[in-house]
Amino acid sequence: MTSSKPVLAISAIAPIVLLIIMIAFLLGPASSFLQFGIVLPEVSIEKIEFTRNEIQATVRNTGPVNVNVVLADVNDRIQPAAIEPDTSLERFETALVRIPFDWNEGQPYEIGVTIDDGTRFAKGVEAAFPSLEPDLDLFVFLGMIGFLIGVVPIMIGLLWYPFIKKLGKNAFNFFLAFTMGLLIFLGIDAVIEATEISKNHLSSVFNGELLIATVIILSFLALYGIGKKLTQKTEFSKLSKGLAISLMIAIGIGFHNLGEGLAVGAAIALGEVALSTFFIVGFATHNTTEGLAIAAPLTSTKAKIVKMIGLGLIAGVPAIFGTWIGGFSFSPFFILIFLAIGAGAIFQVVLSIFHYMNEKSDLLSNTSLFAGISAGLIVMYLTSVII
Amino acid sequence: MQSTIQSAKMFYILIAIVAVSSLYFVVPGVIVAEESPRTFLTHTGLVIQTTGDVIDPIGYDGQALDFDPDKFMKEFDYGEVTVLDDGTILREYYITARDDQIMEVSPGVFYNVWTFNDSVPGPTIRATEGDLVRIHFTNEGSKPHSLHFHGIHKAEMDGVFESIGTGGKFTYEFYAEPVGLHLYHCHVHPVEEHINHGLYGAYIVDPKEPREPADEFVFVLNGFDTDFDGENNFYAANTVPFYYQHHPIEINANQNIRAYVVNILEFDAVNNFHLHGTLFHHYPAGTDTVPSGYNDMLTMSQGDRQILEFNYKYPGLYMFHAHNTEFSEKGWVSSFLVKENTDDFDTQVEYDDII
Repeated sequence: MTSSKPVLAISAIAPIVLLIIMIAFLLGPASSFLQFGIVLPEVSIEKIEFTRNEIQATVRNTGPVNVNVVLADVNDRIQPAAIEPDTSLERFETALVRIPFDWNEGQPYEIGVTIDDGTRFAKGVEAAFPSLEPDLDLFVFLGMIGFLIGVVPIMIGLLWYPFIKKLGKNAFNFFLAFTMGLLIFLGIDAVIEATEISKNHLSSVFNGELLIATVIILSFLALYGIGKKLTQKTEFSKLSKGLAISLMIAIGIGFHNLGEGLAVGAAIALGEVALSTFFIVGFATHNTTEGLAIAAPLTSTKAKIVKMIGLGLIAGVPAIFGTWIGGFSFSPFFILIFLAIGAGAIFQVVLSIFHYMNEKSDLLSNTSLFAGISAGLIVMYLTSVII
Repeated sequence: MQSTIQSAKMFYILIAIVAVSSLYFVVPGVIVAEESPRTFLTHTGLVIQTTGDVIDPIGYDGQALDFDPDKFMKEFDYGEVTVLDDGTILREYYITARDDQIMEVSPGVFYNVWTFNDSVPGPTIRATEGDLVRIHFTNEGSKPHSLHFHGIHKAEMDGVFESIGTGGKFTYEFYAEPVGLHLYHCHVHPVEEHINHGLYGAYIVDPKEPREPADEFVFVLNGFDTDFDGENNFYAANTVPFYYQHHPIEINANQNIRAYVVNILEFDAVNNFHLHGTLFHHYPAGTDTVPSGYNDMLTMSQGDRQILEFNYKYPGLYMFHAHNTEFSEKGWVSSFLVKENTDDFDTQVEYDDII
């Protein structure tokens, strides 16, 4: 075994070396041979912000060739502008286009840029909204929103614990299955939201949909590994299996809430939502069910209040960080990634609950499983309509 | 057990690497060293302070454009003159079509123009009523082209059904008639494409009895659809957007001004012309000696042209532009700088009388 180590190393490296040689050949001597077709430049406007007497657009070169941004317009009317750091954009490079413009709040605008070959790229804003000043007030405000949509509803949901604990075995199974339904819905919801963000805010060059799929699977696998270890530990520690499952659910929901918080924070910063009390009420109602999801597996064990609060915080606090990050620096990429991590985590949790229930009873003959999952999905759908 | 832990570690390292490397794409704008901002005055009169570049269609580094609107507006091609035996004046012109040139139509915007004599618009052909006009046309382009003149001529000189192929030559010959302001353009199908790319020019037929002396200008109202979406990205009087706004045309007060205005705009059904600070007499197609109106607004369809005669009472800076503000905000906005007229004689003949 040891004598073959160099051979092993060579056999591992050889294909890579050959691949590098091939790429060098294609880019070098053979490059002229391979040139065919028309290369079209592409520029994406990723973000439009309205500051005092100025419209600011963040543009990115998402095409295959370098471009110069040479002209800016508002509503298809040429406007003088500044571009920082400069007009030339290499692949994936971004620049800030600053257009002095006396814009009107609440009015729709279309911002366009023209590149050196005369092609114009534009993006619309439904209603101009002044960019938020990154100050302490905003920090507190965003934190409050995160607290209201993340922490409070989950804590309220946990209060179902004594009620579920008093239920019989079938009812308990029903609530575990109900939790699965909730989580499946949350996972699907996150995937749809991530896809929408990818469509509206992320240039196609990033292959948003494939990124979502990749991150979901990676997140699923990673949490599957963590979950396995946690449940193995329970065999020789005080940590009960029910608590381990709850912890997994809390972590999964925590990731989900981080993504959701990012999306909400970004929506606030971009002025995309009319942030009414109604919106908050809807979100909070929806997220109360997340507390229930954490509480259900705990009922099989003796849970201390402190532990429950801890679990609630693990699940809820990420929403606060989410609103902060999303509100202060909008990045569609981050939102997408965290929503996908959340989705992967949640699907893994669903699988964990399934295994957990299956150990205790023969599930497939258990009608409470199907009833529970269905009820969970329906409740989630109904609360989602309120938002 | 050991191996699973190992592989799990590898897995997390992999995720960490992917996450960190993705930052490269995510974080917009790399940190740029602080520079002290510079101040610019924009073409709309705003002040911009920036460490970056200013993008404004007037061009801040003062780069020379490929086309000089100042030269074009006062340049007339009278041709090579020969007096024939019967006393007729023969004017010979040489026009070459090309379609491979890239022109900076607005600072930083490079567009494939199709040209007559390397220029958009082509040269302003000028003759006197009754002259024999002979145009030696060569197509050095890669596509077929032709010359179609408005005016009175034989069908075979109409330049419509006989397109001239690559490397081909054709001699167009006709008498200059009627008096007026006409135009010429390529008439090869699809005509819209050939015109959008720049194959057109003005054609003036002067009356035998010359018009009143005046300071004369040619304004060809045109536009460019640079991204081929069927809408013009740029509008202008004489090709370069916003040019005369920043290079006001200097004229004298109380001096007769004559403007030859040709509308060759594609895609938009109407174009218009609005003059500030005074009104003009206008002559549709310049064919009549009696003005058809006294106005400060002209509405022109595709191919329409008008001769305008006016003078300014007061010195100062006056705009003229499309009153369709979309066009003016995309470049068709110009200005006259009217100076106090200190000369005793109030007119100067600008065009040279050849004979």
